Amino acid sequence: MERWIVITLIIAAYLAVTLVIGLMAGRKATHSVAGYVAGDRSFGLLVMYFVTGATVFSSFAFLGGPGWAYSRGAASFYILAYGVLGMAPFYWVGPRIAEVGRRLGHVTQAQLITGRFPSRGLSALIALMSLIAFVPYVTIQIRGAGIVIEAVTDGHIPLWLGALVAYGIVIVYVLVSGVMAVGWTNTFQGIFMVAIAWILGIYLPYRLYGGVGPMFEQIAAARPELLVPPGLDAAGAPWSWGSYSTYILVSAVGLMMWPHLFMKAYTARDDDTLRRTVILFPTFQLFLIPVFLIGFAGVMFPATPPDPDSILPFMILRTQLPAFVVGLFCAGALSASMSTGDALLHASASVVVEDGILQFVSLDDRVQRMLMRVLVLLTGAAAYVLALNPGASLVQLLATAYGIVSQLAPPVLAALYWRRATTAGVVAGLLSGWATAGFFWHYPALKPFGMHEGILGLLVQVPVLVLVSLSTRRQDPAHLAGFFEEAGEARP
Amino acid sequence: MSRKAVRVLAGVYFTAMAIALTWPGMLPAARIRPFVLGLPFGFFWGGAWIAVSVGVLYVVDRVERRYRDGSTR
Repeated sequence: MERWIVITLIIAAYLAVTLVIGLMAGRKATHSVAGYVAGDRSFGLLVMYFVTGATVFSSFAFLGGPGWAYSRGAASFYILAYGVLGMAPFYWVGPRIAEVGRRLGHVTQAQLITGRFPSRGLSALIALMSLIAFVPYVTIQIRGAGIVIEAVTDGHIPLWLGALVAYGIVIVYVLVSGVMAVGWTNTFQGIFMVAIAWILGIYLPYRLYGGVGPMFEQIAAARPELLVPPGLDAAGAPWSWGSYSTYILVSAVGLMMWPHLFMKAYTARDDDTLRRTVILFPTFQLFLIPVFLIGFAGVMFPATPPDPDSILPFMILRTQLPAFVVGLFCAGALSASMSTGDALLHASASVVVEDGILQFVSLDDRVQRMLMRVLVLLTGAAAYVLALNPGASLVQLLATAYGIVSQLAPPVLAALYWRRATTAGVVAGLLSGWATAGFFWHYPALKPFGMHEGILGLLVQVPVLVLVSLSTRRQDPAHLAGFFEEAGEARP
Repeated sequence: MSRKAVRVLAGVYFTAMAIALTWPGMLPAARIRPFVLGLPFGFFWGGAWIAVSVGVLYVVDRVERRYRDGSTR
């Protein structure tokens, strides 16, 4: 049997298992919006651990990570740095969000913000900006899946077809089962991608260089500039510390503000589950180490891939690995892509319906669920069309989207912890933050110290939020009491 | 350890981590040698802060849990 056929069969088997798990999962959920969006708040620790890990780490990490290590060296360490920093505060903030959500019936992030700062316009604005951040993120995932399938089948399955089949399956299980499918497929996919990353990350340096140490010795001798933080920029010149540092900070602030991750607070069975997910998250995060090792293994590799993001499939194909192993790798990469893509599609539809459309028209539960399904389909189709066009590097696209979502952190924190904040303050802050980030995104040459536009947006937003809040009328005490009732930590 | 102390510990650790992994805290670690566990020093530095954070979060959770079990339920 030809090699690419064996690989294709393994991929097909993987996709079939995913589909079955996704379809089975939905049978446990109730037919309600809370069931479709928040899984009836029923996820236990095992599911939460892998859902969180697999959702955070996507094609961005699995393909973009090695791509950066390969082409920009130590610059990739920024990806290693921010995850834990972004996740740790959730140990305290997460249960608080969940508590308010249970009491006031929230299933999305904008509901929390507008529950405290009532404004239909604000809700719709957040939904719109979330969608703008989501589409490039989904596009990355779909493109990642297509790249991998095309590469490992020697082009017998072109990008458009591979991406279509993989995401056709994602869309089917998200449509049928909602967040329950996302949960159980991500558990399966999370185990898969972590195992594959560790196996390949250790195996490739040994196979090509005789070990991890010898590999870095050779790189240090030939290309020392790659190993010294902050590494290189996209053009191969030394990267600036201002840029490196603010990429870490904006990603740490933005990480849990992604609506699809934030909403996980509403899916946990109880607060303990949520807290333990945070505690265990760093153990998942460590899988980036072998992922980078894979990228570094490519540095001294004799041939050059067509673009840095495909270094992983490129090397895998040229190291004479058995077809079986290549197939498994491919399934790992697809896991990384699909486990994030499904959560994104699901969350974007939920956000647009709950926070956008429902602010202006009222629909019953059944119509809402149907509308969400239509939107899953539309978002998926839009991202699919975009994915067929070659664009910027995977990491670059995502870093830009972080500029948008990181601006949601001040409103969330103000809603939960600052009683003096007002609706006018939050709206003015958000608008100024997005405007600033958008301005510097458009004129990158003007950024001071090469700082990330999201950080510049936050530097403008926070003072605006505080000053406008202080100069507008305090919120009605009855409203505050309703929002904060029992929301505070239980006091002794 | 009291609940307050453990929160201060977490605050200090994660603030230190943010500083140690960005400018200017990362400057002393922006080097290739010594190799640790086969990794260049800058790479090891990043991984080590994550590995230690597992321990910090574990301690945080033990103390917070004892507090919750004792006083709120």
